[in-house]
Order: sequence, then C-alpha cells, then structure tokens
Amino acid sequence: MTEQKRCVVTGLGLICGLGNNVDECWDTAIHGKSGISVVKSIDTEKCYSHKGAEVSLPDSKLSDEQYDRSSLLCIKAAQEAIDDANLKLEDETADNIGVILGSCVGGAASIDKYYTERYKNGSGNKADILKIHASAIANNVAKHFNLNGITANIVNACAAGTLSLSYACDLIRAGKADVFVAGGSDSFSSLAFAGFHALHALSQDDCSPFNHSNGITLGEGSGILIIESYEHAVNRGAKIYCEILGSGVSSDAYHITAPRPDGEGQMSAISRAIKNSELNFADVDYINAHGTGTAKNDEAEFLSLHKLFDGNNHLSVSSTKSMTGHCLGAAGSIEAVFTAKAIESSKLPPTIGYSEEDLDNLKTKSGTLDFIPNTYRNKSVDYAVSNSFAFGGNNASIVFSKNHHKILNRSNKSHIYITGIGQLCGENYQPDKGYQAEITSADYKEYGIKMAFYRKLDRLSQLQLLSGVKALDDAKINVDENNENDIGIIIGTSDGPMTEIINFQKNVIENGTQSGSAFLFPNTVYNAAGGYLSIFAGIKGYNVTVANGFQSGLQSVCYAADVIHNGNESIMLATGTDENTDVESDLYSHLGVISENDLYSLQDNGFKLGEGSVSIVLESKESAEKRCSKKYAEVAGYAMARKSIEFGQLKGSESAMKKAIYEACSNAEISLNQIDGICGFGNGDKTVDNIEMSVYKEIFDKPISVFLVKEKSGEARAASAAMQVAFAAKVLSGEIQSSDAYILSKENVSYKDVNTKEYKYMLAVSFGTRGTYSAVILRKIL
Amino acid sequence: MNNEIAEKIKGMLVENLRIPADELEYDSELFGEDIGLDSIDSIEIIAGIDNLFGVDMTGAPREEFQSINTLTKYVEEHTEAK
Repeated sequence: MTEQKRCVVTGLGLICGLGNNVDECWDTAIHGKSGISVVKSIDTEKCYSHKGAEVSLPDSKLSDEQYDRSSLLCIKAAQEAIDDANLKLEDETADNIGVILGSCVGGAASIDKYYTERYKNGSGNKADILKIHASAIANNVAKHFNLNGITANIVNACAAGTLSLSYACDLIRAGKADVFVAGGSDSFSSLAFAGFHALHALSQDDCSPFNHSNGITLGEGSGILIIESYEHAVNRGAKIYCEILGSGVSSDAYHITAPRPDGEGQMSAISRAIKNSELNFADVDYINAHGTGTAKNDEAEFLSLHKLFDGNNHLSVSSTKSMTGHCLGAAGSIEAVFTAKAIESSKLPPTIGYSEEDLDNLKTKSGTLDFIPNTYRNKSVDYAVSNSFAFGGNNASIVFSKNHHKILNRSNKSHIYITGIGQLCGENYQPDKGYQAEITSADYKEYGIKMAFYRKLDRLSQLQLLSGVKALDDAKINVDENNENDIGIIIGTSDGPMTEIINFQKNVIENGTQSGSAFLFPNTVYNAAGGYLSIFAGIKGYNVTVANGFQSGLQSVCYAADVIHNGNESIMLATGTDENTDVESDLYSHLGVISENDLYSLQDNGFKLGEGSVSIVLESKESAEKRCSKKYAEVAGYAMARKSIEFGQLKGSESAMKKAIYEACSNAEISLNQIDGICGFGNGDKTVDNIEMSVYKEIFDKPISVFLVKEKSGEARAASAAMQVAFAAKVLSGEIQSSDAYILSKENVSYKDVNTKEYKYMLAVSFGTRGTYSAVILRKIL
Repeated sequence: MNNEIAEKIKGMLVENLRIPADELEYDSELFGEDIGLDSIDSIEIIAGIDNLFGVDMTGAPREEFQSINTLTKYVEEHTEAK
C-alpha cells in the first residue's frame, strides 16, 4: 500500500478578542490573559450576562471591502496567513488555490442591520440582502484574493472550523487541489447572544471551562491556516509549521442542542481521528479541547477524555475558550492556530480562571490528565488533537503532528452507486408565492415521525427530514447498531433556515436581546436540518452541511462521493434543501429577481421561487452488493470549479463551468461527446439561461438535449441541484423513458419530447451566483 | 376555570411551540409522550406566560407545567394575589 498524500500547514492568520494577529493573540494566550470584557457591539442592558470577547477593530479597519463582518474578519486573518506562508498570488498557480471556511451565524450582523432598518424606517438596504447568507463568506474571500480553486462554506455551527480543515485536507489527499485557505469566521451577533441567553447557556461571569462550567462566553474572530500538499510546499520552499494527519467526524444522533451525556459521539469522532492518523491514544501529547464551559459539554468531554486517554501520563489538555470566548464557527480554526503554535514553540496555552480552591477541586476530577490551569507549560508536542462539538450533535476531531508520520493510503476508489432517492418539491404554483411543497401530518405518520418530534422542526428541517427518510426507505436501509456508524450525511443548502433565523432576529429587534426565543434558536443554525435527520434516523456517521449557493445540492453529491472514496463511510445521503416561505419570497422579491410572468419561458426576466428537498443515497459497490441494493445509476465522475465574478453577474464565469464539466468527464474517464443528455440549471432568468446555453453550444460537437427540472418546480436552489441528479438517475434507470427537452445545436434551439431509453451517460451541472459550479456525470448500469 | 386565560395559553403554545391546535386539549399532558415538551420548551412557556399575564413562573414546580389546566390555575392564583 502506498503512503497517503501529506498535508502541511505553511501559514497562520488569526484575529479574535485576544489580538489582531497571530503573535499578539499567542503572546496574550500564553500569558493567560483573557480577551473577555463587557460587550460593546450589542445592547445587553436587560440581559443577565454582559460578557463577550470582541475584536477591537471596526469593520473599516479589517478590509476596504463592503462585506459582512464575518467575511471581513476572515479577509484580515487570511491576508496574514497568505503573507506568513509567502504565497505569491500573482502566480498562475493562484488560480488553483481553494477556500474552505466554516461559519455558524454567517451574515447575522447584516441580518440585524437590514431588519432593524426595515423595522425603524420601513425599508432596508438591498445591498445588505447579499451579505446575509453564509454562502457568501468563502466566495467573498476568494474574490478578494482572486483565488479560483474549489470553494465551500461548512456551516456546522461550532464544529464548522474544524470540519473545514478536515475537508480541505481530504481534498488535497484525493488529489483535487494542492493549496487551501482554510479555517472559519464568525462575527459577534445579537442572534447568537440572544439565543444562548434564551437557553440560559451564557455564563454571568467570564466562562470557566472544566472548572465552574456555568455557561459559555461568546467571542468573535477568524482563524486561517494555509494547508498545502507536502510536495507543493517543498517545491516552493515554504516553511512548515506542522502536518495535519487524520480527522474524525461523527453524529450523536441524540439531541439538537445537548451533547450525549455518555460522550459516545465525541469518543467516536476522536477515535476515528486517531485511527485515521494511525496513532494510539497513548501517543497524544496535547489536546485543545472543545471546553465551552457549559456543564453539559464539560461533563461529557471530561468523561470522553478520561475514557479514551486515562493511562496516557504525558497528556495535557486546555480550553483556550477560557480566553477567546466561544467563537462558534471560527472556534475550531482559532484553536487549530493555537495548536500549530504550540507544536512550533513547545509551549502549551493554559485554561485560565482557577482560584486556589478551584485548583484543589480540579485535582479530584482531573486524574492523570493535566488541564494546564492558569499558567502555560513548556512541553514538546509530537502529536496534538483539537476537538470541536456542535449543535445538531455534530462532532469533529483533528490530529496535528510535529514531524512526518507515515499513513497508508486507505482511499477506496471503488464504484459508487445511487441506490435510493427521496424527493419532495413544490408542485403547486401560486403567482405571488411561487412553488411550495405541501406537507401534512399524514406525511410524518407514514414514516412514524411523531408530533412531539416534528413540531420542533422549522421549514428547512421538515423538508429535509421527509426527503431523508423517503430516501432511506427507497434504498431499503434500516439503520441499526450494525450500520449506524457506516452511514453519513452531507446536506447542501443555499440559504439555510433563513425563515427561522429572520423570525428569531425580528423578535430580538422588536423586543430586545433579552427576548430571544429558546424554541426557535436551535433551528437557526444551518446544520439543524442534518442534525434532526441524524437524530430521527439514528445515523451516527459523518455529518456536514455545505452552504455554497444554488449549486450546494450538487456539491453535496461531490462531497459525499469523496467521503466514500476516502474510506470514511460506505453509505452517504447527499441532499439539496431550500425553503420557500413568505420570508424567502420577500427577500428575493426585494432583490428583483422574481419573474412577473406566470408561464415559464426561457430567457425571461427572472425566475419563480421554488422549494423542496431531494436526498440521494450514494453507496459503495461493496455495500450495495452486500445488501443487493437496487441501483439507479453509477456516479461516474464529478468536479467543482470557480471563477471570481461580481455577485449577480454570471458573465465571466463560463470558464469555471467548462472546467467543472471537463474535469468531471476526465474523472469519469469519458469524452465529452459520450454524454447523451444534460440535466441543466436554467431557471428562466435570461442571464442564467444564456450562460448555460452558450457553454453547451460551444463545447458540444453535436446537438445535445437539455432537460430543465426548474421548468416544473421553480428555482428551488439546492433542492433543484440535487433534483437534477435524481432526474438523471431516473433516466438512466429507465424509470423516466422520455421527457421534454431543449435540443441545442450550434445554429438553433428546439423544444420537444425526447426518448431517453438508450442513454448511457448523463451530466448534471449547477451554478452559484458567485461563479461556483459543480458537475456530476452518471453512468447507466448495464 | 377561566376559559379566557386557558384560550390565551393555548394560543401561545400553538404559536410559540408549534403544537397543532387540533391535538391540544386543556387537559393534554404537555410533557407526556404525545406532545413531548422538554426543558427548552419550558423556558419558552415561562417567557410566554410572563408576556401574556406578567406572571413569573421561574422556579415554579414541575407539576404546574403539566397541562393548560394547571398553567391556567397558576396564572389565576398569581394574578389574584397581585
């Protein structure tokens, strides 16, 4: 067996409550000083807590760009990391540098601003709508630095930062990229403060992880790592901080906010990370713990660490959140920067806040584990672990190494089949609402989902849960203790749970930060839908939510296929889900992108909004054969590409669309002209339709049939993207034998019913409004 | 029992906790298996009762949260006492 590709860290960037760059933050942390003080950016007057760890710089000092603060924090940290890594962005190789970022609240500060203005003045600034989605962050950073590699926003709440690093490494190991700007970012927000306040999860005083554990203190910031393949780093003579070894991702399948008290999910993530790194628990010298300071987290993490690491007498553990506060989606990346610095400097940052009495208490519960209370340690670290655990029961753990550590290549390039499809989409069109899906209590009853469970769900989670269970049912998968860890989930969403977020935010704007809804808040994280699905279905494997524009439902298929190829799971649900509510249609109407015509036509002045969720079961050949699964089609090839353009102007991104298609063909080992039909992304908006048709006309040497799912169910964004794959799979399985299509040739376009019985290859392509594309090629099973 | 209060509480539960109105009776067991309220929901009930009636249920014993009937009784007793 060959050695796995090595991933190394060559640049660091950091901004948080401790300082505005890596050196400042590291020096403050090592000296055990806190970044926590009285919150300035939001009104906490009527709240029981007033503490937070905010960045001292205003937006204007972070960057000249007019983006949301989460993006600006990220640009500041990314600039430092790029400079530190001595990456020359004017090189042609910069075109292949990707950006993968984690975020929890996304553009929450801009949501607050937009709706506050509407509340006070009756109208908000349209430009702010473009800032509110988490989908914007990685694309903003990529645009700022003109980076055109693969982008993704990982939106798994407090685990997002760590998951982003993990995904970047997996893509490098799979040979899909050489360099990533990876990490996470979150700004301070009334959304998060009011939410944790409502849950009574904020500490009144500075948070005190592994000590008083009476709640968290929120922070803000961004941590960025430049991650490269070892060869790339050596070829350009880069300095190397450390290597990143394996990572582990798991789901609790237990509760939407609370961790499992028995630590099972946490231990599963840590164990997967150690196993994927080919290490033993006894090898680890330092753990940067999740250590939020809530009783539930600290108790579960104490238990997990003791169960896995007792007997390791050289292990030190600290929670740097005692100084940075909990920076949510940035937390894992900030802690990764600290971990890299710890390895580089042989100094370990402390957990602060222990009094003499606390130190005595700590002795009784710490056992052989050293929690580095108050004062840093001088200690050489060969292997370090960083943990992040999130709402939705998502757990992530990642391993860093000072030296080269050989890991055998476990990647499994076996065939991947589509073995189940669950689809829910808006079929009824109403002129003022667009397409909406109809969900009744009978739908839940059909799958044994009780009212006590489904009443908790927001619209996005409802759609996702139903399509997810339909897909499992279609694939005849019964999740039980024998397979619960072999099944994972990648959710793709463009806009996330925007309705729940905005309803929560409007209430806070109208009634104050102290009035947040404890009921709504758990659903305001983008990964809640995936969390509920894992809880209901009992799925305990990989669980990631990607928010990257309309094409997210196709990127989820690419991501899920990579998880199977990496050998991490044998079955993955890849989904696309987006909602269409009054809140969503109001936002899109304000943007002026909704068509005024009731009938669908190509090259109209806008699209009709749709909604839905499509879940696709991807399964390795071994698993499918063992289960005698029904196979719709094979996932033959897939690729992602990007070209920086101004928001809303797809023109100029044709090169990325072509690159995604060509690379998907190359990945499938077929020529372009072997493709029999395309399930396209046209939505009726002339900008979108023109780009799509012009590219197909240019690259195909033959008339090509293009099927458009959005004709009948509107622009359901990520749901449409996943629906394109589902449509292609149904064509290749024979379930669909003919359908209306646009026949594109160099000279003209015609529209007619096309017989698809003999089709062998189908292509699905989708786009993001910021120049991001994914392409998936399916092969008929002969 | 004061039906006006009970109806307001029911409306609040339907609106704030998304309990289907047709499955919620005054004596339905709120924390039982069917409706399945939990600790997060009880925070929301406390906030809702406070908003509607200015009655603070923080620290009230668990049995007061059992049903719309018991919540109504609590509100009645604590508004009279004011």
